[in-house]
Amino acid sequence: MVTPDQIIIELQKISWFRELKPEHLQKIAAISHLRRVAANEVLFREGDSEDNLYIVIEGRIALNIFVPHRGKVRIYTAEPLDVFGWSSVTPIIHQRTAGATAVMDSLVIAIHAEKLRQACDEDHDLGYVVMRRLANIVASRLLVTRLQLLDMFANPESQNVK
Amino acid sequence: MAAFQTTAVSTPRANHWLEPNWAEITAIANETSDVSTYWLKFVDPSMQANYSFKPGQFNMIHLPGFGEAAISISSDSGERDKIGHTIRFVGNVTRAVSRLKVGDVIGLRGPFGTSWPVEEMEGKDIFIASGGIGLPPLRPVIYHIMRNREKYGKVTLLYGARTARDLMYPSEYENWRQAGIDVEVSVDRSDANWPGRVGVVPMWFYQFRIDARKTVVLTCGPEIMIRFVIFEALARRIPLENIYVSLERNMKCGQGSCGHCQLGPYFVCKDGPVFRFDALQPYFNLEEF
Repeated sequence: MVTPDQIIIELQKISWFRELKPEHLQKIAAISHLRRVAANEVLFREGDSEDNLYIVIEGRIALNIFVPHRGKVRIYTAEPLDVFGWSSVTPIIHQRTAGATAVMDSLVIAIHAEKLRQACDEDHDLGYVVMRRLANIVASRLLVTRLQLLDMFANPESQNVK
Repeated sequence: MAAFQTTAVSTPRANHWLEPNWAEITAIANETSDVSTYWLKFVDPSMQANYSFKPGQFNMIHLPGFGEAAISISSDSGERDKIGHTIRFVGNVTRAVSRLKVGDVIGLRGPFGTSWPVEEMEGKDIFIASGGIGLPPLRPVIYHIMRNREKYGKVTLLYGARTARDLMYPSEYENWRQAGIDVEVSVDRSDANWPGRVGVVPMWFYQFRIDARKTVVLTCGPEIMIRFVIFEALARRIPLENIYVSLERNMKCGQGSCGHCQLGPYFVCKDGPVFRFDALQPYFNLEEF
Protein backbone atom coordinates (compact mmCIF):
# COMPACT_ATOMS: atom_id res chain seq x y z
CA MET A 1 0.00 0.00 0.00
CA VAL A 2 1.44 3.33 -1.04
CA THR A 3 1.11 5.98 1.64
CA PRO A 4 0.23 9.64 1.01
CA ASP A 5 3.77 10.55 2.09
CA GLN A 6 5.21 8.37 -0.66
CA ILE A 7 2.90 10.04 -3.14
CA ILE A 8 4.05 13.45 -1.92
CA ILE A 9 7.66 12.41 -2.55
CA GLU A 10 6.72 11.50 -6.11
CA LEU A 11 4.68 14.67 -6.60
CA GLN A 12 7.61 16.78 -5.44
CA LYS A 13 9.69 15.43 -8.30
CA ILE A 14 7.46 17.49 -10.58
CA SER A 15 8.52 21.11 -10.64
CA TRP A 16 5.08 22.69 -10.66
CA PHE A 17 3.96 20.78 -7.59
CA ARG A 18 6.83 22.39 -5.70
CA GLU A 19 4.89 25.67 -5.94
CA LEU A 20 2.15 24.19 -3.80
CA LYS A 21 1.95 24.74 -0.07
CA PRO A 22 2.40 21.62 2.10
CA GLU A 23 -1.32 21.51 2.90
CA HIS A 24 -2.14 21.60 -0.79
CA LEU A 25 0.25 18.75 -1.48
CA GLN A 26 -1.44 16.79 1.31
CA LYS A 27 -4.83 17.40 -0.27
CA ILE A 28 -3.65 16.19 -3.67
CA ALA A 29 -1.85 13.19 -2.19
CA ALA A 30 -5.06 12.19 -0.41
CA ILE A 31 -6.92 11.92 -3.72
CA SER A 32 -4.08 10.28 -5.65
CA HIS A 33 -2.64 6.85 -6.05
CA LEU A 34 0.41 5.40 -7.72
CA ARG A 35 -0.18 2.95 -10.50
CA ARG A 36 2.31 0.66 -12.17
CA VAL A 37 1.46 -0.22 -15.73
CA ALA A 38 3.13 -2.95 -17.73
CA ALA A 39 4.23 -2.50 -21.32
CA ASN A 40 1.22 -2.61 -23.66
CA GLU A 41 -1.24 -2.32 -20.77
CA VAL A 42 -4.17 -0.03 -21.51
CA LEU A 43 -4.81 2.73 -18.97
CA PHE A 44 -7.96 3.92 -20.62
CA ARG A 45 -9.74 3.69 -23.94
CA GLU A 46 -11.57 6.17 -26.10
CA GLY A 47 -15.07 6.53 -24.75
CA ASP A 48 -14.17 5.70 -21.14
CA SER A 49 -15.37 8.08 -18.48
CA GLU A 50 -12.84 10.70 -17.46
CA ASP A 51 -11.90 9.60 -13.99
CA ASN A 52 -8.27 10.55 -13.43
CA LEU A 53 -5.63 13.06 -14.35
CA TYR A 54 -2.29 11.28 -14.82
CA ILE A 55 1.33 12.23 -14.39
CA VAL A 56 4.11 10.03 -15.73
CA ILE A 57 6.84 9.28 -13.20
CA GLU A 58 8.67 6.59 -15.15
CA GLY A 59 8.29 5.10 -18.61
CA ARG A 60 6.31 6.23 -21.61
CA ILE A 61 2.57 6.40 -22.21
CA ALA A 62 1.18 6.62 -25.76
CA LEU A 63 -2.01 8.46 -26.61
CA ASN A 64 -3.84 6.89 -29.53
CA ILE A 65 -6.92 7.68 -31.54
CA PHE A 66 -8.60 4.98 -33.54
CA VAL A 67 -9.20 6.10 -37.11
CA PRO A 68 -11.42 3.89 -39.29
CA HIS A 69 -9.43 2.27 -42.10
CA ARG A 70 -6.15 3.36 -40.50
CA GLY A 71 -6.25 1.72 -37.12
CA LYS A 72 -4.74 3.22 -34.01
CA VAL A 73 -2.84 6.42 -34.74
CA ARG A 74 -0.38 7.47 -32.09
CA ILE A 75 -0.72 11.20 -31.61
CA TYR A 76 1.57 11.83 -28.66
CA THR A 77 3.71 10.13 -26.07
CA ALA A 78 3.79 11.36 -22.51
CA GLU A 79 7.27 11.11 -21.01
CA PRO A 80 8.39 11.40 -17.37
CA LEU A 81 7.01 14.53 -15.66
CA ASP A 82 4.41 14.93 -18.39
CA VAL A 83 0.69 15.16 -17.69
CA PHE A 84 -1.98 13.36 -19.68
CA GLY A 85 -5.70 12.96 -19.35
CA TRP A 86 -5.89 16.69 -18.57
CA SER A 87 -9.31 17.08 -20.13
CA SER A 88 -10.72 15.14 -17.17
CA VAL A 89 -10.20 18.28 -15.06
CA THR A 90 -11.96 20.54 -17.55
CA PRO A 91 -14.51 18.11 -18.91
CA ILE A 92 -16.47 19.05 -21.98
CA ILE A 93 -17.19 15.73 -23.56
CA HIS A 94 -17.07 13.67 -20.35
CA GLN A 95 -15.54 10.81 -22.26
CA ARG A 96 -11.97 10.05 -23.17
CA THR A 97 -11.24 11.31 -26.66
CA ALA A 98 -8.02 9.29 -26.92
CA GLY A 99 -6.83 6.03 -25.49
CA ALA A 100 -3.71 5.64 -23.36
CA THR A 101 -1.38 2.64 -23.49
CA ALA A 102 1.95 2.04 -21.80
CA VAL A 103 4.71 1.73 -24.38
CA MET A 104 7.03 0.29 -21.74
CA ASP A 105 6.77 -0.57 -18.06
CA SER A 106 5.73 2.69 -16.47
CA LEU A 107 4.78 4.34 -13.20
CA VAL A 108 2.09 7.01 -13.10
CA ILE A 109 0.33 9.07 -10.49
CA ALA A 110 -3.44 9.04 -10.93
CA ILE A 111 -5.25 12.01 -9.40
CA HIS A 112 -8.99 11.66 -8.99
CA ALA A 113 -10.22 14.32 -11.38
CA GLU A 114 -13.60 15.16 -9.83
CA LYS A 115 -12.12 15.43 -6.36
CA LEU A 116 -9.36 17.63 -7.71
CA ARG A 117 -11.95 19.94 -9.26
CA GLN A 118 -13.80 20.06 -5.94
CA ALA A 119 -10.58 20.84 -4.08
CA CYS A 120 -9.86 23.64 -6.53
CA ASP A 121 -13.38 25.04 -6.07
CA GLU A 122 -13.03 24.97 -2.31
CA ASP A 123 -9.53 26.43 -2.16
CA HIS A 124 -8.90 28.99 -4.85
CA ASP A 125 -5.19 29.31 -4.00
CA LEU A 126 -4.82 25.65 -4.86
CA GLY A 127 -7.18 26.06 -7.80
CA TYR A 128 -5.16 28.95 -9.21
CA VAL A 129 -1.89 26.97 -9.24
CA VAL A 130 -3.50 23.84 -10.65
CA MET A 131 -5.46 25.65 -13.36
CA ARG A 132 -2.54 27.88 -14.32
CA ARG A 133 -0.40 24.80 -14.77
CA LEU A 134 -3.09 23.01 -16.70
CA ALA A 135 -3.37 26.05 -18.96
CA ASN A 136 0.37 25.76 -19.64
CA ILE A 137 -0.02 22.08 -20.44
CA VAL A 138 -2.93 22.75 -22.78
CA ALA A 139 -0.99 25.56 -24.49
CA SER A 140 1.98 23.25 -24.91
CA ARG A 141 -0.20 20.53 -26.43
CA LEU A 142 -1.81 23.09 -28.72
CA LEU A 143 1.63 24.10 -29.96
CA VAL A 144 2.58 20.46 -30.56
CA THR A 145 -0.66 19.97 -32.45
CA ARG A 146 -0.07 23.08 -34.57
CA LEU A 147 3.43 21.92 -35.49
CA GLN A 148 2.11 18.46 -36.31
CA LEU A 149 -0.62 20.04 -38.43
CA LEU A 150 1.94 22.14 -40.27
CA ASP A 151 3.60 18.88 -41.25
CA MET A 152 6.87 20.74 -41.19
CA PHE A 153 8.98 17.94 -42.63
CA ALA A 154 6.73 17.51 -45.66
CA ASN A 155 7.48 20.64 -47.66
CA PRO A 156 10.46 19.58 -49.75
CA GLU A 157 10.17 22.33 -52.33
CA SER A 158 11.22 24.86 -49.72
CA GLN A 159 14.11 22.66 -48.61
CA ASN A 160 16.09 22.28 -51.81
CA VAL A 161 19.43 22.97 -50.16
CA LYS A 162 20.03 19.76 -48.35
CA MET B 1 24.07 9.39 -67.56
CA ALA B 2 27.53 8.10 -68.40
CA ALA B 3 27.47 10.82 -71.06
CA PHE B 4 28.70 13.16 -68.33
CA GLN B 5 32.10 11.54 -68.71
CA THR B 6 33.48 14.16 -71.05
CA THR B 7 37.10 14.86 -71.82
CA ALA B 8 36.96 17.48 -69.10
CA VAL B 9 36.74 14.67 -66.58
CA SER B 10 40.42 13.95 -66.63
CA THR B 11 41.46 17.57 -66.27
CA PRO B 12 41.44 18.93 -62.71
CA ARG B 13 40.19 22.47 -62.54
CA ALA B 14 42.56 25.16 -61.37
CA ASN B 15 39.85 26.80 -59.28
CA HIS B 16 37.54 24.28 -57.67
CA TRP B 17 35.16 26.99 -56.46
CA LEU B 18 34.49 28.41 -59.90
CA GLU B 19 34.55 25.32 -62.08
CA PRO B 20 33.38 21.82 -61.28
CA ASN B 21 35.71 18.92 -60.82
CA TRP B 22 34.43 15.52 -61.79
CA ALA B 23 33.67 12.86 -59.26
CA GLU B 24 32.52 9.29 -59.73
CA ILE B 25 29.61 7.85 -57.79
CA THR B 26 31.12 4.89 -55.92
CA ALA B 27 28.05 3.89 -53.90
CA ILE B 28 24.44 4.91 -53.36
CA ALA B 29 22.64 4.29 -50.07
CA ASN B 30 18.88 4.70 -50.05
CA GLU B 31 17.97 6.46 -46.80
CA THR B 32 14.22 7.01 -47.27
CA SER B 33 11.77 6.90 -50.16
CA ASP B 34 13.03 10.26 -51.49
CA VAL B 35 16.47 10.62 -49.94
CA SER B 36 19.71 8.84 -50.83
CA THR B 37 23.33 9.26 -49.89
CA TYR B 38 25.76 9.43 -52.79
CA TRP B 39 29.36 8.50 -52.08
CA LEU B 40 31.69 10.29 -54.44
CA LYS B 41 35.36 10.12 -55.31
CA PHE B 42 37.13 12.65 -57.49
CA VAL B 43 38.27 11.20 -60.77
CA ASP B 44 41.58 12.98 -60.35
CA PRO B 45 43.44 11.28 -57.45
CA SER B 46 45.36 14.42 -56.54
CA MET B 47 42.08 16.34 -56.27
CA GLN B 48 40.76 13.67 -53.92
CA ALA B 49 43.94 13.69 -51.85
CA ASN B 50 43.91 17.47 -51.48
CA TYR B 51 40.20 17.98 -50.97
CA SER B 52 39.12 18.87 -47.46
CA PHE B 53 36.05 20.41 -45.87
CA LYS B 54 34.78 21.42 -42.46
CA PRO B 55 31.61 20.04 -40.86
CA GLY B 56 28.64 22.08 -42.04
CA GLN B 57 30.02 23.11 -45.43
CA PHE B 58 28.39 22.28 -48.74
CA ASN B 59 29.28 21.59 -52.36
CA MET B 60 27.56 22.71 -55.50
CA ILE B 61 26.61 19.57 -57.40
CA HIS B 62 26.80 20.16 -61.12
CA LEU B 63 24.94 18.19 -63.77
CA PRO B 64 25.47 19.36 -67.34
CA GLY B 65 22.15 20.14 -68.93
CA PHE B 66 20.35 20.42 -65.60
CA GLY B 67 22.31 22.94 -63.55
CA GLU B 68 23.60 23.03 -60.01
CA ALA B 69 22.26 22.38 -56.52
CA ALA B 70 23.80 23.22 -53.17
CA ILE B 71 24.12 20.04 -51.12
CA SER B 72 25.58 19.77 -47.64
CA ILE B 73 28.40 17.32 -47.12
CA SER B 74 27.16 14.56 -44.85
CA SER B 75 30.32 12.47 -44.49
CA ASP B 76 33.18 12.49 -42.02
CA SER B 77 35.57 15.38 -42.63
CA GLY B 78 38.36 13.15 -41.33
CA GLU B 79 37.77 10.60 -44.04
CA ARG B 80 39.79 11.64 -47.08
CA ASP B 81 39.02 8.93 -49.61
CA LYS B 82 35.35 9.65 -50.24
CA ILE B 83 32.77 12.42 -49.93
CA GLY B 84 29.14 11.82 -48.96
CA HIS B 85 26.13 13.89 -49.96
CA THR B 86 22.69 13.02 -48.67
CA ILE B 87 20.25 14.31 -51.25
CA ARG B 88 16.50 14.76 -51.21
CA PHE B 89 14.98 14.57 -54.65
CA VAL B 90 12.89 17.71 -54.80
CA GLY B 91 14.09 19.88 -57.67
CA ASN B 92 15.18 19.64 -61.26
CA VAL B 93 18.83 18.89 -60.49
CA THR B 94 18.29 16.51 -57.59
CA ARG B 95 15.62 14.58 -59.49
CA ALA B 96 18.18 14.13 -62.26
CA VAL B 97 20.68 12.95 -59.66
CA SER B 98 18.16 10.34 -58.55
CA ARG B 99 18.48 8.72 -61.98
CA LEU B 100 22.25 8.33 -61.74
CA LYS B 101 23.92 5.02 -61.02
CA VAL B 102 27.14 3.84 -59.46
CA GLY B 103 29.93 4.59 -61.92
CA ASP B 104 28.31 7.74 -63.28
CA VAL B 105 30.17 11.02 -62.94
CA ILE B 106 29.00 14.40 -61.69
CA GLY B 107 30.66 17.75 -61.15
CA LEU B 108 31.47 19.24 -57.76
CA ARG B 109 32.34 22.83 -56.87
CA GLY B 110 33.34 23.65 -53.35
CA PRO B 111 33.50 23.34 -50.47
CA PHE B 112 31.54 26.47 -49.68
CA GLY B 113 30.19 28.22 -46.65
CA THR B 114 30.77 28.52 -42.95
CA SER B 115 31.10 25.54 -40.67
CA TRP B 116 29.95 24.37 -37.25
CA PRO B 117 32.28 25.73 -34.56
CA VAL B 118 33.75 22.37 -33.57
CA GLU B 119 36.90 23.87 -32.08
CA GLU B 120 35.19 26.68 -30.17
CA MET B 121 32.79 24.08 -28.71
CA GLU B 122 35.56 22.10 -27.03
CA GLY B 123 35.01 21.75 -23.32
CA LYS B 124 31.31 22.51 -23.67
CA ASP B 125 28.17 20.39 -23.54
CA ILE B 126 26.68 20.04 -27.00
CA PHE B 127 22.96 19.91 -27.66
CA ILE B 128 22.10 19.09 -31.27
CA ALA B 129 18.46 19.62 -32.25
CA SER B 130 17.70 18.44 -35.73
CA GLY B 131 14.74 17.48 -37.85
CA GLY B 132 14.18 15.63 -41.10
CA ILE B 133 16.76 16.36 -43.76
CA GLY B 134 18.48 18.67 -41.27
CA LEU B 135 20.52 15.78 -39.89
CA PRO B 136 22.89 15.30 -42.87
CA PRO B 137 24.64 18.69 -42.37
CA LEU B 138 25.10 17.77 -38.71
CA ARG B 139 26.39 14.24 -39.24
CA PRO B 140 29.97 15.48 -39.85
CA VAL B 141 29.80 17.17 -36.42
CA ILE B 142 28.75 13.88 -34.86
CA TYR B 143 31.65 12.10 -36.52
CA HIS B 144 34.02 14.84 -35.39
CA ILE B 145 32.79 14.54 -31.81
CA MET B 146 33.13 10.75 -31.96
CA ARG B 147 36.75 11.07 -33.04
CA ASN B 148 37.44 13.69 -30.35
CA ARG B 149 34.98 12.60 -27.68
CA GLU B 150 37.25 13.51 -24.76
CA LYS B 151 37.25 17.15 -25.85
CA TYR B 152 33.53 17.62 -25.27
CA GLY B 153 31.23 17.40 -22.28
CA LYS B 154 27.75 15.90 -22.42
CA VAL B 155 26.57 15.47 -26.01
CA THR B 156 22.90 15.08 -26.86
CA LEU B 157 21.32 14.57 -30.26
CA LEU B 158 17.59 15.26 -30.34
CA TYR B 159 16.35 14.26 -33.76
CA GLY B 160 12.85 14.21 -35.19
CA ALA B 161 11.23 13.18 -38.43
CA ARG B 162 7.78 12.99 -39.89
CA THR B 163 7.45 9.24 -39.38
CA ALA B 164 9.77 6.40 -38.41
CA ARG B 165 10.27 5.67 -42.11
CA ASP B 166 11.62 9.18 -42.62
CA LEU B 167 14.41 8.95 -40.07
CA MET B 168 17.90 9.45 -41.51
CA TYR B 169 20.70 6.98 -40.70
CA PRO B 170 18.82 4.87 -38.12
CA SER B 171 21.41 2.09 -38.40
CA GLU B 172 24.06 4.46 -37.03
CA TYR B 173 22.31 5.53 -33.82
CA GLU B 174 23.64 2.63 -31.79
CA ASN B 175 27.23 3.43 -32.81
CA TRP B 176 26.68 7.03 -31.83
CA ARG B 177 25.30 5.96 -28.47
CA GLN B 178 28.25 3.69 -27.88
CA ALA B 179 30.52 6.65 -28.57
CA GLY B 180 28.91 8.48 -25.66
CA ILE B 181 26.28 10.51 -27.47
CA ASP B 182 22.79 10.55 -26.02
CA VAL B 183 20.62 9.97 -29.10
CA GLU B 184 16.94 10.79 -28.60
CA VAL B 185 14.57 10.27 -31.49
CA SER B 186 11.04 11.49 -32.01
CA VAL B 187 8.50 11.26 -34.81
CA ASP B 188 5.55 13.54 -35.53
CA ARG B 189 3.17 10.71 -36.18
CA SER B 190 3.18 6.95 -35.93
CA ASP B 191 1.14 3.84 -35.68
CA ALA B 192 1.00 1.74 -32.54
CA ASN B 193 4.19 -0.17 -33.36
CA TRP B 194 6.65 2.68 -32.84
CA PRO B 195 8.22 2.34 -29.37
CA GLY B 196 9.76 5.82 -29.29
CA ARG B 197 8.57 9.35 -28.69
CA VAL B 198 5.73 10.92 -30.66
CA GLY B 199 5.59 14.70 -30.66
CA VAL B 200 7.72 17.47 -32.11
CA VAL B 201 11.41 18.18 -31.54
CA PRO B 202 11.20 21.54 -29.72
CA MET B 203 8.73 20.26 -27.17
CA TRP B 204 11.15 17.65 -25.80
CA PHE B 205 13.61 20.19 -24.43
CA TYR B 206 11.99 19.94 -21.02
CA GLN B 207 13.15 16.33 -20.80
CA PHE B 208 16.82 17.29 -20.68
CA ARG B 209 18.93 18.87 -17.98
CA ILE B 210 20.69 21.64 -19.87
CA ASP B 211 23.36 23.68 -18.15
CA ALA B 212 22.93 27.04 -19.88
CA ARG B 213 26.36 28.23 -18.77
CA LYS B 214 28.23 25.60 -20.72
CA THR B 215 25.92 24.33 -23.45
CA VAL B 216 26.21 25.05 -27.15
CA VAL B 217 23.09 24.40 -29.23
CA LEU B 218 23.40 23.41 -32.89
CA THR B 219 20.23 23.20 -34.92
CA CYS B 220 19.26 22.43 -38.48
CA GLY B 221 15.97 21.45 -40.06
CA PRO B 222 12.84 23.17 -41.32
CA GLU B 223 12.89 26.84 -40.37
CA ILE B 224 9.66 26.49 -38.43
CA MET B 225 11.31 23.83 -36.28
CA ILE B 226 14.44 25.94 -35.84
CA ARG B 227 12.32 28.86 -34.68
CA PHE B 228 10.78 26.87 -31.85
CA VAL B 229 14.09 25.19 -30.96
CA ILE B 230 15.53 28.67 -30.49
CA PHE B 231 12.56 29.72 -28.36
CA GLU B 232 13.20 26.70 -26.14
CA ALA B 233 16.95 27.35 -25.98
CA LEU B 234 16.41 31.00 -25.07
CA ALA B 235 13.81 30.02 -22.47
CA ARG B 236 16.59 28.00 -20.82
CA ARG B 237 18.82 31.10 -20.83
CA ILE B 238 21.32 29.77 -23.31
CA PRO B 239 23.20 32.84 -24.56
CA LEU B 240 22.55 33.92 -28.14
CA GLU B 241 26.22 33.44 -28.97
CA ASN B 242 26.04 29.78 -27.95
CA ILE B 243 23.30 28.96 -30.45
CA TYR B 244 24.26 28.03 -34.01
CA VAL B 245 21.85 27.59 -36.88
CA SER B 246 22.33 26.10 -40.33
CA LEU B 247 19.84 27.57 -42.75
CA GLU B 248 18.39 26.01 -45.83
CA ARG B 249 17.76 28.63 -48.44
CA ASN B 250 17.60 28.66 -52.19
CA MET B 251 21.31 28.78 -52.96
CA LYS B 252 22.28 29.09 -56.60
CA CYS B 253 25.73 30.55 -57.19
CA GLY B 254 27.51 29.65 -53.96
CA GLN B 255 29.37 32.95 -54.02
CA GLY B 256 26.93 35.56 -52.78
CA SER B 257 26.43 37.15 -56.16
CA CYS B 258 23.00 36.00 -57.36
CA GLY B 259 20.96 37.01 -54.29
CA HIS B 260 18.67 33.98 -54.26
CA CYS B 261 19.59 33.07 -50.71
CA GLN B 262 19.64 36.54 -49.17
CA LEU B 263 18.50 36.89 -45.57
CA GLY B 264 18.66 40.49 -44.37
CA PRO B 265 22.21 41.62 -45.09
CA TYR B 266 23.47 38.06 -45.41
CA PHE B 267 23.83 35.61 -48.24
CA VAL B 268 23.31 32.13 -46.85
CA CYS B 269 25.74 30.60 -49.38
CA LYS B 270 28.58 32.98 -48.53
CA ASP B 271 27.93 34.14 -44.97
CA GLY B 272 26.32 30.84 -43.95
CA PRO B 273 24.89 28.30 -44.03
CA VAL B 274 26.00 28.11 -40.38
CA PHE B 275 25.26 31.29 -38.46
CA ARG B 276 25.74 32.23 -34.86
CA PHE B 277 22.28 33.20 -33.71
CA ASP B 278 23.18 36.66 -32.43
CA ALA B 279 23.89 37.63 -36.05
CA LEU B 280 20.58 36.25 -37.26
CA GLN B 281 18.34 37.43 -34.47
CA PRO B 282 17.24 40.77 -35.99
CA TYR B 283 15.97 38.93 -39.08
CA PHE B 284 14.65 35.84 -37.43
CA ASN B 285 10.99 35.20 -36.82
CA LEU B 286 10.04 38.17 -38.98
CA GLU B 287 7.11 37.54 -41.24
CA GLU B 288 8.15 37.00 -44.87
CA PHE B 289 11.88 36.99 -44.06
